[in-house]
Amino acid sequence: MQKLELTLAIIKPHAIKNPIALSYIRNVLRNKFVVVKTKRVSLDKESASKFYEEHVGKFFYNRLITFMASGAIDLHVIAHCNAIELWRRILGPTSVYKGQFKEPNCLRSIFGLSDTRNVAHGSDSLESAAREIKFFFPDFSFYKWHNDDEELYRKGPIIFNNYLFQHVRRL
Amino acid sequence: MNAIKVILRSRTPCAVGNRLYATTKKKISDPDEEESLPIFQYPVSKSSDRRMYVWGLAETGALGLHMPRGKKSRKQYRNNFSMCWHPMRSSFAERFDVTHVAAGYGFTVTSIKTSEQQKVFGTGINTDSQIGYHAPRIGHPLELLLSPSPIFLPYKSLETRIIGLSAGRAHTAVLTDNEGVFTLGNNAYGQCGRKIHNNEEYRGSMATHNIKKLGVEKIVNVCCGQDHTLFVTEGGKVYACGWGADGQTGLGTYENQAIPAMVKGDITSEKIVKVASTGDCVLALNEHGELFGWGNSEYGQVPMATTQQQVNMSYALVSFTKGLGKIIDVAAGGSFCLIVNEAGDAFVWGYGLLGLGPNVQHSRTPKQIPAPLFGRNEFNPTSMVQKVACGIGHLAAITNSGDLYMWGRNRQGCLGLGHTKDQYFPLKVSIGAHVLDVACSVDHSVATCKPFI
Repeated sequence: MQKLELTLAIIKPHAIKNPIALSYIRNVLRNKFVVVKTKRVSLDKESASKFYEEHVGKFFYNRLITFMASGAIDLHVIAHCNAIELWRRILGPTSVYKGQFKEPNCLRSIFGLSDTRNVAHGSDSLESAAREIKFFFPDFSFYKWHNDDEELYRKGPIIFNNYLFQHVRRL
Repeated sequence: MNAIKVILRSRTPCAVGNRLYATTKKKISDPDEEESLPIFQYPVSKSSDRRMYVWGLAETGALGLHMPRGKKSRKQYRNNFSMCWHPMRSSFAERFDVTHVAAGYGFTVTSIKTSEQQKVFGTGINTDSQIGYHAPRIGHPLELLLSPSPIFLPYKSLETRIIGLSAGRAHTAVLTDNEGVFTLGNNAYGQCGRKIHNNEEYRGSMATHNIKKLGVEKIVNVCCGQDHTLFVTEGGKVYACGWGADGQTGLGTYENQAIPAMVKGDITSEKIVKVASTGDCVLALNEHGELFGWGNSEYGQVPMATTQQQVNMSYALVSFTKGLGKIIDVAAGGSFCLIVNEAGDAFVWGYGLLGLGPNVQHSRTPKQIPAPLFGRNEFNPTSMVQKVACGIGHLAAITNSGDLYMWGRNRQGCLGLGHTKDQYFPLKVSIGAHVLDVACSVDHSVATCKPFI
């Protein structure tokens, strides 16, 4: 079995506020991926603009950070042997208005409202995944992940803990 | 021979016992008696009777179609359906006189004609308290309501009437005749028109805000976009508050606006009678039937000379709509706009399934949707579109004969056509009543109707 890859999934505020959408997305997450860490935070504008600093200067930058700062967001560190690509494929095209006709069955087409309110965020490469996970989980140790945890989550035994919303070692 | 006897014996009493005679009924022999008998009168509805039809995603409870769970029976499937494919008559409107309906993202708000405290009812998603505080146990507010419940609003007088309703993504605005506007729900961008508090908890919040007057004028119309609110005053001025990142508030900035302020640009000298907004783009109509627009223009909804994608001030679209005549109704969806002129022709522009054919289109100029699609033909030459409405991805038009036509993206069956495939051209929705008004949201629609008879 291939080594597990990590990526960061962020569920955006409008999807958090819709219980139907949230339960659907959570089902996808826990059945397709190994959920390693989960956290719910409320961003302020400063940390949101720091997180999205790669988009500085684009026309949607301001609306993106004000949107991300408008409510609670769910952060999930998820693992899969092809996590980055798979999560982005499940999400679908970034632009909801255009993508909903090409791929009508991805998460963004089902629950997305506009190009900004597009349900969730997914890291686009290994480097950005590492950077984003480090940004939201400063105490997450990649060293420990590569040496111990990765093997545990790959070989098991693990079970899903609904309260923490993450997979844990079965005792 | 024995066998035949047995059959005869067993059949004879049976046949006699079950036989029904058609002539047992007493005949009326006397003609005078016939006249004295009561004549059955079929009920005729009053002209004020209203019906409500709902369809789309029922899982959120926005349709209010939940039937209380009785004892185990064959009809239990009624309690766990997730979609309503065809318009379904809401039993709520049979019990109350519904006057206004508004549909938000996963919730519906309804106002009724009454002089009691409970004037507005809401059903659906309530995670931001957009339909009020409902807690069966203290400290455990409900996040999802499956059937309509009354919303408590602090009216000064119980004689106050509700004259308008509007709902956005997670906020509601209730317009009264002499107490101004009540707003409730999410205020993260200031869309409720009060000060923004960071990290305010909206779940289980009892906060309502009352905007009595704007300037010195009464508010006569209110319209909610996804995360912004627009108010029209008696003098035809437009005020806006809420999310301004796309210029939806039209205040010349891209900041959030907490206190309603007057929209800048070309409409300051005009008398506006109607504003329309569902997504992030706003259209306004003045008393002469001229069009104005601002907000998101990524798909050319508010056409500008430059390739500006976020228009933060109102602009007159008079030259854009030249030759279309006087416009009587406007609707702005997520990535497209729909207008109808005095002659009853509907025009559409923007991006998406515009109803002009089987392709996703991007139209920069208003294109007419052929009138025969709305039922105008040799046999019915007077059929005209009178009202239009837009959801995020779907469009609706009502003709003068009370027919509802819908088309566009069929998210969760919100077109009510009996399937979830996208609809490429206007198609009549089967509603057994005269449609007066339709409220479209993201994934459900509500129509207010008048009975035929």
